Amino acid sequence: MAKKRLVFTLLYQQGAFYLSRNFRLQRVGDLNWLNNNYRFSSIATAIDELVILDVSRQPRDIEAFCAMAAEVSANCFIPLTLGGGITTLEQAETLIRNGADKLILNTALASYPELVHELVRIYGSQCIVASVDYRVEADSFTVYVEQGQKRLDRPLARYLDELEDLQVGELYLNCIDRDGTGQGYCLEVLEQLPPDFHLPLIMAGGAGNLHHLLAGLTCPQIDAAATANLFNFMGDGLPRARAHLIENVIYMANW
Amino acid sequence: MTNKVAIVDYGAGNLRSVIRALTHLGAHVTVQGDPDRLRGYSHFVLPGVGSFRRAMDMIRSRGLDQLLCERVAEGVPLLGICLGMQLLAAGSSEDGETQGLGLIAGEVDRFSFDPAATGLKIPHVGFDAVTPAAGSLLFSGFGQEVDFYFTHSFRLLCATQEPVAAEAWHGEFYVAAVEQGVVAGTQFHPEKSQANGLKLLANFLERF
Repeated sequence: MAKKRLVFTLLYQQGAFYLSRNFRLQRVGDLNWLNNNYRFSSIATAIDELVILDVSRQPRDIEAFCAMAAEVSANCFIPLTLGGGITTLEQAETLIRNGADKLILNTALASYPELVHELVRIYGSQCIVASVDYRVEADSFTVYVEQGQKRLDRPLARYLDELEDLQVGELYLNCIDRDGTGQGYCLEVLEQLPPDFHLPLIMAGGAGNLHHLLAGLTCPQIDAAATANLFNFMGDGLPRARAHLIENVIYMANW
Repeated sequence: MTNKVAIVDYGAGNLRSVIRALTHLGAHVTVQGDPDRLRGYSHFVLPGVGSFRRAMDMIRSRGLDQLLCERVAEGVPLLGICLGMQLLAAGSSEDGETQGLGLIAGEVDRFSFDPAATGLKIPHVGFDAVTPAAGSLLFSGFGQEVDFYFTHSFRLLCATQEPVAAEAWHGEFYVAAVEQGVVAGTQFHPEKSQANGLKLLANFLERF
């Protein structure tokens, strides 16, 4: 049985890293800031995977994004997932060629399903992570795409069924209402999963401290806990979080 | 002496992490897909993501299948990683029956357990514990249970226990690593498995 994972997510836009709160972006710092506060070469041993998303609201510079990703992950011997605005095979290929072990897709799942099929055919299911953003509206869970701007006409549960048909490899499930709030994950969403849902689940949106990560990973349905909170895990925050999880008998990898 | 490692390039996608890991270990690494230029190397690494059939088609169309088997017969060590390990087998049922390189007696097939009944997921993604076989060179210096990073939906079952260098469990026991003479393979990704992975790659460079 696969061990539980701690995933760190970096949000990037035109040369800088951002904190997102309910999908509104706040600039935190550039690569120097990141290196000074995180030093991935030494703390990568605390995380199981690194995700870097190009959240640019303007046209993207994929070459610059790749160069940044290569520098950030230079001494990380862990899986690297890259994504953000992938709409063509060429973009996907560029990311793979530049070190992406996995691709993360969001809007494309709804808007370009044929691209998703093609990527699964070329790179395999295990290479494709489906990112799904949702809001809790009254009592319903509603999917949004295009960086949380476009509401889809179907409920989360039905959308997740469709994703399984697309043969993606994993689900990265992010709650827009909790995003960047540091209030903890929206665990109620687990009840929305189809009964026989079999994709590995990466939970995102709301983790502000190590207790939130623990609460998430304690749920049997959750395989990985992600945080993109750049402020709350600075310095030795990630190693301390991992130690806390292991102390609380979360089944995690040892190195 | 510096190891000269050729990463066999047949269009398999992301090679960066394996290049980085081997370079980190002090090896001189070249990515090479031209069979005529795959000579003079101390070690070969066969990476791989994607489907078995597509990979074998690309390997055959470049004439790399014959070359790899010749080099192995000459005694050049070969490490297959993930799909690269599966390609060492006689064949796979992925995407229809496809013949592999036939360097290891065994067949590749989808996990046979029922995900709904077991609660286990396919693909099998994440770090998981493997149990090395006694006397394995790849796992020299490791304990009885070691964590490595996996991401796969198909797995290798060997015809005999002999080449099995490590086993793992995900709904069923399956082959996590093989070694037989100069041929080695890992279902997991050593280049993405932190210190454990680097140590295994160092074993491959030093002991094969």
